[in-house]
Amino acid sequence: MSMSNASEKPTGLIFFPAFDWAISPTHPEREERLLYTRDQIFEEGIMDLPQVSEYTPVLATTHDIAMTHFCVPRVEDQVTEAHLIAAGAAILLADEIVSGQIKNGFALVRPPGHHSMRVVHGNRGFCNINNEAIMVNYLRRRKGIKRVAIIDSDVHHGDGTQDIFWHDPDVLFISFHQDGRTIFPGTGFTNELGGPGAYARTINIPLPPGATDESLLYIVDNLILPVLSDFKPDFIVNSAGQDNHFTDPLGSMRFTAQGYARLTEKLRPDLAVLEGGYAIETALPYVNMGIILALAGLDYSAVLEPDYQKFRESADLAGQVRRMVDQLLQRWAKRDQVSISQSDMTGNYFQHTKRIYYDTDNIQENQLEKLRLCDNCPGYLSIETKANHGYGQTGGKALCLSIPIDACASCRTEAADLYEKAKKARTYSYVYLQDKSADLFLGYDTANGKEWRSEGS
Amino acid sequence: MFVGVDVGGTYTDAVLLDHEAVRATAKIPTRADLLESVLEALDIVLKDVDNKDLKRIVISTTVITNLIAGRKYDKVALLLIPGPGLSHRYYDFKTKTIILTGAIDYRGREIVPLDEKEIVAALSELAAEGYKKVGVAGKFSPRNSAHEKQVAAIIQEKYPDWQVELGFRAGPQLNFPRRAATTYLTCATREPYRNFVNSVRQALEKRKISAEVFILKADGGTMPLDKSVEQPVETIFSGPAASTLGVQALTPPDETEVVVDIGGTTTDIALILNGQPLLSAKGARVNEQLTQVHTLAVRSVPVGGDSLLELAGDEIVFRPERLGPAYCMGGPAPTPTDALRVLGLTALGEEAKAEVAMEKLGAPLGLSAAETAGRVIDLIADSITAEVEKMFLEWEQEPAYRIWELLQKRKVRPSIVAGVGGGADGLIPQIAAKLGCDPVIPPYAPVANAVGAAVARPTLQVSLRADTEQGYYQIREEGFQGKIDKRSFNEQKALALAREKLLERAADYGLAVTPDEIEVTYREVFNMIRGWDTSGRLYDFTVQTPRGITCRIEKGGK
Ligand SMILES: [Zn+2]
Ligand SMILES: [Zn+2]
Repeated sequence: MSMSNASEKPTGLIFFPAFDWAISPTHPEREERLLYTRDQIFEEGIMDLPQVSEYTPVLATTHDIAMTHFCVPRVEDQVTEAHLIAAGAAILLADEIVSGQIKNGFALVRPPGHHSMRVVHGNRGFCNINNEAIMVNYLRRRKGIKRVAIIDSDVHHGDGTQDIFWHDPDVLFISFHQDGRTIFPGTGFTNELGGPGAYARTINIPLPPGATDESLLYIVDNLILPVLSDFKPDFIVNSAGQDNHFTDPLGSMRFTAQGYARLTEKLRPDLAVLEGGYAIETALPYVNMGIILALAGLDYSAVLEPDYQKFRESADLAGQVRRMVDQLLQRWAKRDQVSISQSDMTGNYFQHTKRIYYDTDNIQENQLEKLRLCDNCPGYLSIETKANHGYGQTGGKALCLSIPIDACASCRTEAADLYEKAKKARTYSYVYLQDKSADLFLGYDTANGKEWRSEGS
Repeated sequence: MFVGVDVGGTYTDAVLLDHEAVRATAKIPTRADLLESVLEALDIVLKDVDNKDLKRIVISTTVITNLIAGRKYDKVALLLIPGPGLSHRYYDFKTKTIILTGAIDYRGREIVPLDEKEIVAALSELAAEGYKKVGVAGKFSPRNSAHEKQVAAIIQEKYPDWQVELGFRAGPQLNFPRRAATTYLTCATREPYRNFVNSVRQALEKRKISAEVFILKADGGTMPLDKSVEQPVETIFSGPAASTLGVQALTPPDETEVVVDIGGTTTDIALILNGQPLLSAKGARVNEQLTQVHTLAVRSVPVGGDSLLELAGDEIVFRPERLGPAYCMGGPAPTPTDALRVLGLTALGEEAKAEVAMEKLGAPLGLSAAETAGRVIDLIADSITAEVEKMFLEWEQEPAYRIWELLQKRKVRPSIVAGVGGGADGLIPQIAAKLGCDPVIPPYAPVANAVGAAVARPTLQVSLRADTEQGYYQIREEGFQGKIDKRSFNEQKALALAREKLLERAADYGLAVTPDEIEVTYREVFNMIRGWDTSGRLYDFTVQTPRGITCRIEKGGK
């Protein structure tokens, strides 16, 4: 094949289909999922192109996981090797991008992760741990990356990623997806805009079922790109779910491989990470080809599904999307002028309760989340969590304390004190302290009085 | 008795094996006519042999390499059926290429039919331009060869004297651009290669040699001479395979070894991991084109005994070109061979001249002849060990697509550096020391390549793919399709079918294979889930006759 632009760096690709891993034998998140994608990209000879450089993944460490998630009781109980490989793939490519070895990357891996929240009691929406969040936290802790934007293009709301970065003013999370009233997980509305210190750093764009490439590209051009240009991220991540495709069995949208490729070309993400997408024959081989070619700067115009057509959108639908974009742009413009409603305040804390349902594992979790409001830093977070594993089987309570990367000294001390007190109080089965500013994790098991710790090396 | 012949660029080597012993060897300069070289070497090792006692001759030649390098073939056009995907503008096969309408998908389903009018027009265009050789390659043709065969049928009808090669046979792996390149090369070389095979056959008949004759492939397996015409390109780059098999036969079993063949201006490196030669994960690069030809993993370093040495600033460097033999052998400039001579690591050439060469090279740096020679040897050994390290790293980092494959990856370190080829053996201990290995110059090292050819064994494989949802199976090598019963078909039946086909194929090749010798080298089974139900299964199996060598050389002969 001919080479062009030999001086340009290649796109890094990790293809890890985990052909020996499934949630259960007939679950959509199954061994076969990336089989036809494999066939297509191998047959196209993509890995031979000078513009593409294939990497083999490494496993993420349990410390990498613990710096993002509170896995109850421990990381080892919630993740398998497949999860460590998927997260490790994202980290490896991010490293290569930051060190300048590749111009951008695509972690074409499974299992997916964007429904995994900060606290993990089990599998939700096919996800155990959040590959992108783990990678982003790694970059921020270890590589000096400060501002990150994550654009989630899965048909399902990226509620896990939203939860993890809800209070983080330096991570912009934008998710467009099918309207939560019509699809799992039932969230992702325009009024979900982030915590008090990070207002409008979460932006949700719920799209009416039936939306096409037209609306997709409209929101990219008129909302996402302008917001990105204001936010000025150091690193852009695309949670590249492919279930917005017109043939997807779970979603009701009408995006095409051409639409996804054009999105990639416009967005210019540093790293794309595969999320959902379950039309494993009719969509994935083509959408993945489109994304790889767009990242590598190659002509993708001939990547067409066998039953490709240019879908027409109703004027109604298009109008609805335009109005929503206008409304969100106004919120974005006022992002720094929002004050916290007093009803959510308890002393120095902003607090609220959350109920989280784990569909795959049938777990009901209740959380009390408190953010320490601080003038000198984003404040530490404390989460009291209790999970109900169905049939009245109830786990104990756990306390999770998270110190942000740029925490002030007094917040760090206060959180550390709270951790020590909680260890002695014996109210919680498990107590955790995640100190991102020190790259340190502590966990404590009240039943046996044992503490474990991990540190960044 | 067995004979191995390896025709190299400079020398042609032959050995005669009797059971596990070497009975005779030959080393002659390679002539312009390859066949003449083969026969000359054969005549030497067979001098005292009754031809009736000769069971097998294995030949490793550069015939394909020479054909391709010299472009000694008629022009070939490509008809491609790529369908949707990567833009066609990235395809550049350095020959007339016409894109045809039509598409097959990953499961072998037709998604766009062929356009017969368009095909006929393309053929008249080729005819007008004087093409009589055409390669036809479609994307996913190994999953369904119907389109390629249809185009071939049209060509046969309209231009019965044209030569047509089909992609699914030439390049049965998943990789369309490599398939197209391999189809092109197959089409280009088949006729001249057949002429070579015929003349070998005639020459042997004249000598009343009726032994079986095999040709060595780049992956270290062999093919019967007549059958090799089916896959001529597979015989390219068989030289490094010959050397590596030779080392395998001449050193203890199950070792992890680095095979270093230092020639005049290039050094070939191959690896033997736990007793098995390492195959390259992808196919060979031929004439700048990536192909589907299986080869051993071989790295060539542009340095050898005759490389030109010079100063660049205050550093000694080597240049990839050869100005002539070593200075100590009457050449014009200092070479690594001179350095070896000064240090007493070779007996070649005149010592006094070697001293002069090293003195001249090192004088501007204030180095003595011996110091200069030491630096040179260090430099060469460093550049070779760096490549060895890269090969191990590349092997470790080869992509894996299953969890168990990834988890079982571990570091393997070599224990032996084996020098073959007879050139610059003095360097082997230096390289071994840098890698923390034992240096070994095996017995018969100068003809290890011919020993490798002699012990190579025929390999055949059959790949079966069954799709129970669509209710058919196919044998990739043959483009053959058969029906299966969706309900009763299972893994056992799939394997039994593959084994049966392999035995048939072996019989056709005249190879004696027993069913229990058959190895399963690839196994892929997928449940197809459609809407929470299993709708079928996909089986992908490759079975092959045993790999490896026919025997180890235990004792010296003459
Ligand atoms: Zn999804
Ligand atoms: Zn603070």
